[in-house]
Amino acid sequence: MAQEVRFDQFMSNETTSPLGRLLSSVEFKLIVSWVFVVLVTMLLDTRNTYWNKPADSAELILRQTVLLGFFALGAAIIIISGGIDLSSGSVIAMSATVFGSLMIVLDPEGFKAGHVSTNAVVLSIAGTLLVGAMVGTLHAWLITSVGLPPFVATLATLVGLRSFGRGLTPTITGGKSQIDFSDLGLRESLKDVTSISILFVLFALLLWFLMSRTVTGRHLQAMGGNEQAAKLSGIRTDRLKWLAYVIGAVSASIVGIISFADTGSAKPDIMARGYELNAIAASVIGGCSLQGGVGTISGTILGCLFLRTIIDAVQKIVGTGADVYEGMIVGIVVVVAVTFSQRGSSKIASKKYFSNAIGWSVIPTLGLLTGLSYLLFFGTREWYANYQAFLIGVTVVVALSIRAFLESRPSVNGQT
Amino acid sequence: MTQPVISINRISKRFGGTRALHEVSFDVMPGELHAICGENGAGKSTLMKILSGVITSYEGELLIDGDVVHFSGTKDAESVGISIIHQELNLVEQLSVAANIFLGRELRNGLFLRDDRAMEAQAADLLESLDCDIPPDHLAGSLRVGDQQLIEIAKALSLNSRILVMDEPTSALTESEVERLYRVIAKLRSQGTTILYISHKMEEVFHLSDRITVLRDGQFIGTRNTKETTPGEITKLMVGRDIESLELGPRSQRGDLVLEVRNLSLEWPGHARGYRLKDISLELYRGEVLGIAGLMGAGRTELLECLFGASTLEPTGEILLEGYPIKPRHPADAKQAGLALVTEDRKRLGIFNTMNVGRNISMCSLRDAAIGPMLNSYQEEQLSESMVEKLRIKTAGLTPPIGALSGGNQQKCIVGRWLLTGPKVLLLDDPTRGVDVGAKAELYRVIRSLCAEGLGVIVTSSELPELLTLSDRIMVLSEGRKTAEFRIEDATQEKIMEAATKSWQSQEIDR
Repeated sequence: MAQEVRFDQFMSNETTSPLGRLLSSVEFKLIVSWVFVVLVTMLLDTRNTYWNKPADSAELILRQTVLLGFFALGAAIIIISGGIDLSSGSVIAMSATVFGSLMIVLDPEGFKAGHVSTNAVVLSIAGTLLVGAMVGTLHAWLITSVGLPPFVATLATLVGLRSFGRGLTPTITGGKSQIDFSDLGLRESLKDVTSISILFVLFALLLWFLMSRTVTGRHLQAMGGNEQAAKLSGIRTDRLKWLAYVIGAVSASIVGIISFADTGSAKPDIMARGYELNAIAASVIGGCSLQGGVGTISGTILGCLFLRTIIDAVQKIVGTGADVYEGMIVGIVVVVAVTFSQRGSSKIASKKYFSNAIGWSVIPTLGLLTGLSYLLFFGTREWYANYQAFLIGVTVVVALSIRAFLESRPSVNGQT
Repeated sequence: MTQPVISINRISKRFGGTRALHEVSFDVMPGELHAICGENGAGKSTLMKILSGVITSYEGELLIDGDVVHFSGTKDAESVGISIIHQELNLVEQLSVAANIFLGRELRNGLFLRDDRAMEAQAADLLESLDCDIPPDHLAGSLRVGDQQLIEIAKALSLNSRILVMDEPTSALTESEVERLYRVIAKLRSQGTTILYISHKMEEVFHLSDRITVLRDGQFIGTRNTKETTPGEITKLMVGRDIESLELGPRSQRGDLVLEVRNLSLEWPGHARGYRLKDISLELYRGEVLGIAGLMGAGRTELLECLFGASTLEPTGEILLEGYPIKPRHPADAKQAGLALVTEDRKRLGIFNTMNVGRNISMCSLRDAAIGPMLNSYQEEQLSESMVEKLRIKTAGLTPPIGALSGGNQQKCIVGRWLLTGPKVLLLDDPTRGVDVGAKAELYRVIRSLCAEGLGVIVTSSELPELLTLSDRIMVLSEGRKTAEFRIEDATQEKIMEAATKSWQSQEIDR
């Protein structure tokens, strides 16, 4: 069965006409879904934020997309080359502290006075990026020379580097658990949405060029597809891994610097916690395969845009306090996006999801989830809200049960 | 007339645009050994997957004992008594022999707990009924391929299978293991088991079968009684032309010495023998094919890996390429020096499944199609295209995924990949494994013509006739040592087998 599915995937990739290839690409599907989400938000948002404040809304989504995009692209490169990086959240937090610490160390007077000298700023940025590169090198060494699986190596730094940041902060600040960004002028220019967007475009272009126009990029893809074969083709896979993990860690360091400016303080204990999973999710939504060898830069960027837009949409529709649901949204989007990108919509119609014991026992779970989500997202204080939610849950259960029944019919005919 | 046990009635199957089977119909009689022959891509595997319930959607009918059946999974096939022994064995290497045999149907004791002892006892009985002494509590992964295969057969027996499908069962076996397999097959037949036997090897098919069915390009070509046909006829049916008439091209003139190996040894820590290779010396001249014969585990692959810098440990000894010593520690070094290796396990070590045909071919020579770090896709296509033409690779352009090509054409892509690096020496590790008859002849012709261009070629093969056809000289390895070297005029299958089966103890005594 597995082989058959793989074969069918080949066939669907093999669409020869350029238009057909465009229409079946992840990028196209994401753009269509994105437009759909924006339109739905416009309809459902009672305050019409997108109509009333288009510039502000765009800026917000752009800022968040860019911040996610930097290290999601790093994660994508690692995933395409056959690895995984769990450490980016911690590298972001640590880089923010390192950046702050370097400024304090290099220009203590200026930092206190709220005006750090340009030299110190440049050196601090360079130093932070260098620390990122060092983290990447450490990852590459743990994976290639020590021989740890990437999951384990980056799990160790995920836990370790945040702790390192937490230890560093009181030492530098004299007992405080966070570093505050004192230089307001610098902060404004570092978090300026135009400049970080331009920087992101340059970064993305560079990586796009690397992946699709250079020999090294092809080698990275080859290594992700079949590492043994790549090595036996005379490709120095160890060096490529170094490159991939350095790109991953440095991209997280860039985000560390910008986030420090954006939030105004570096709190290594809570900053960017769990972000690594958002980056992996964005790459996967953008069409990267966790098996390696498959994925694009453009897909990953659109994956970030889609993810951030849908989170923003729910915030607009639900109102304040919606960041609580961010995780839920990411979870749902990952499942739906990967299901759709792995199979065409025709496959989804014919595939059996609820025909076996696991299938029908999940139906109540899905009904409960839908009902509760409705209550949490849209529930009003009216007395009938609970009944509405209950009704929606029941409807889902009934609808899925009908689907389960329909799915089980043909196989009854098929069996002797 | 008795009722056929399996009746295949106008079965068709398409994968996307490719037709894998087209209205195939034939019958299998109870108790017979029915061989199915055909080149790779002829549809044998697809048909067997339908028969064993792996593929569930197809056109046409499948009748077992005269009743139409439609399996919706392998369990359905097992329940009517069909088991399949795949070419690539399906064992969980970390589990014991008994656990593998009863996987998914574990025996339980009175408390509904897993009863390992009962399973081991039954497994021992099953294995004994096959006349083999495999300890049922050993881990499956610790056994040789031949023994692992017998576990699969024992598993089929434990399912009370009356129809056994064997997909190229001898492809990884040694001579003595093949003998044992023949005995097991004879035993199964005496118990009335019907066997569908898929093989490329005419010798086997004629030794074992009652009837032979030939498929070609997904179509049924014919069924013959084995007694009334000849290997020549079957081969002709398989390829649709006379294989004998294929001209491989002349042997080329031996040129200068290109590769010399002196006293190459490779350690094997933790093994009783202590070495994988010991004191191997060889010479290779331009325009020459040096064949390396040897049984499984003789060190053929290890020798090529050492030459190519792909061995895990560093070998000792000297390697001289055109008179200059080289010490490749990474395949990149070897490639730089002018060596090329086409690996044995194409799927695992050769092809890039996520990439298309063109990119698979250009993989090793991207620097030639690049300006600085930047890849020139036009030049890259030119390079790949040149190899598609030169090696006559059957593909619809450079864009189809490599997996859409037949085994022989995939292999040609990998040969092409290495030819683009302009090698001086080409190392081919069992290049025709899993490649069908027609494509084999094509590959032979390619190898001959490369020799004519002045390349030195080293070929290993598990099939002696192949080495005898291809080589100018044959070197024999046995348990990591070189036990003989023959000029092609002096080489015979018997002499080679004798040298290949010399054990290392007897070699020590010879000294």
